[in-house]
Amino acid sequence: MGEFTSGFFMGGQATNGRILVVDDEADIRKVVRMTLQKAGYDVLEAENGERAIDTINSGENRLLLDILICDIRMPKINGVEAIAYFRANYPRVPVIVLTGFPDADMATSMLRQGVVDYLVKPVEGEKLRESVARAMEQRELAHL
Amino acid sequence: MGYDVRGGLLALPFHPRSHAVQPVTDSRVAKLAPTKVAILGGGRGGTALLDLLHLIPSIEIVGISDRDPGAPGLLRARHLRIPVTNRIEDLVANHGVNLIMDVTGDPAMERFIHLHKQPDTQVLSGSAARLLWELVSHEANLQAELFHAEKLAGIGSFAAGIAHDINNPLQLIMGLAENLIEETDLKVVHEQARDIIEGVRRTSAICRDVTQYARKTSARDDTMVSLNSRLDEALKIARYAVSFHDITVDKQYGEGAEARGNPDEVLHLLVNLITNAVQAMEKEGGTLTLTTQPSDDTVTLRIADTGCGMASDVLGQIFDPFFTTKDPGRGTGLGLYNVKTIVTKMRGTIHVESRVAQGTTFTITFPPLLEDRT
Repeated sequence: MGEFTSGFFMGGQATNGRILVVDDEADIRKVVRMTLQKAGYDVLEAENGERAIDTINSGENRLLLDILICDIRMPKINGVEAIAYFRANYPRVPVIVLTGFPDADMATSMLRQGVVDYLVKPVEGEKLRESVARAMEQRELAHL
Repeated sequence: MGYDVRGGLLALPFHPRSHAVQPVTDSRVAKLAPTKVAILGGGRGGTALLDLLHLIPSIEIVGISDRDPGAPGLLRARHLRIPVTNRIEDLVANHGVNLIMDVTGDPAMERFIHLHKQPDTQVLSGSAARLLWELVSHEANLQAELFHAEKLAGIGSFAAGIAHDINNPLQLIMGLAENLIEETDLKVVHEQARDIIEGVRRTSAICRDVTQYARKTSARDDTMVSLNSRLDEALKIARYAVSFHDITVDKQYGEGAEARGNPDEVLHLLVNLITNAVQAMEKEGGTLTLTTQPSDDTVTLRIADTGCGMASDVLGQIFDPFFTTKDPGRGTGLGLYNVKTIVTKMRGTIHVESRVAQGTTFTITFPPLLEDRT
């Protein structure tokens, strides 16, 4: 797969991996998608924890989802609950928190649960891509 | 289960289904003959006495007098619908007056009063009257400080909401700006530049809302306050304090719902009640119903939630200062106490009805709007 460290074919086109971005604000999903698509990732979106769980449990996502990027403060099922679900049911999918609230207690608690990174908005594209690359490495290790 | 506060001094438990105030407490008040007071002097002293005494049901202010028709106390009295006269002798000689309070500061007034007053009318004047109104002013200042302290304590809980609402548009701005560095499609450049401007506007609006709310309540005179627009403003502020996720807001606004009061204090009152209502629903979600009902006689404001409700032992204490059921750091115990104080100051009544696991409704009734609508 050339320069790609990990990836799969989707519709005949290689991508660096499939990422689910969960945030209740469409604007945030839009810019995160833009940033990650430029780096060659395939990006899915969900507007809350409930939709995120539906997404991973549907079709090929169960197998092909590589990374979850998740906000905390959201309606329906919030980020804490969604991440707990992902860690329990899909422990091989690395999770990155992307939140608007810099909460040290929450960050510690999330990192203890195995979250790869706790990023506080606004986050630069470069930093987000680095974090995603680290998460992809973890994802590959999980497959070994 | 319900609870009533009238004039700030009565706390009346009553049966939830009957919606009737227990007669024992009302009759207790009826037996007390009010002390009829005349205030001489419409300066700072007279105004301070008016502001306090008109809140006390056992006191009836029969009138206030000052030779200066533009004295601030006379203007305040007109707002409170208390009789005003420029003829001091008429008020002094009034047969119905039990007590004359002379805060004119005029040394000759004492002799004038004793010449014209009825034999059984008592007089408070000179340094004693001055001491009294200074105590009253001091009390009013303390109350204002208490309001502000409670408001600032509440703003501490806004941190999460403010950070969330500022950092989200900042993320949008950051992402779009990074993209613009490489973007060559002019149409996309224009579109994203407009989105950036909108993001900046959102951020600055948050700073403006919060700093306006955080400022000390202005001591401006009461004015006609639109309850509907204050409710919308309070919703905006309360969103910083509590999450409205899974909360449906149902606005049942009656057209032209207005009450006389201080707009800052009305906003403070509404933010308190809305924040409490949403916190009561934060586990299960629910509906927040905001109702205003103007009628010929009164204006009714209702804030109802479908949250956890309160047991009767809690309900009996909610307006007490420093009573709280919230976790440490989430409540000062002064929120509803201040709500009650503001309602009382506006000469309104507040009634609360609550059922465990079903919800709580606060109903505030404001008096008729007979005054000028300036």
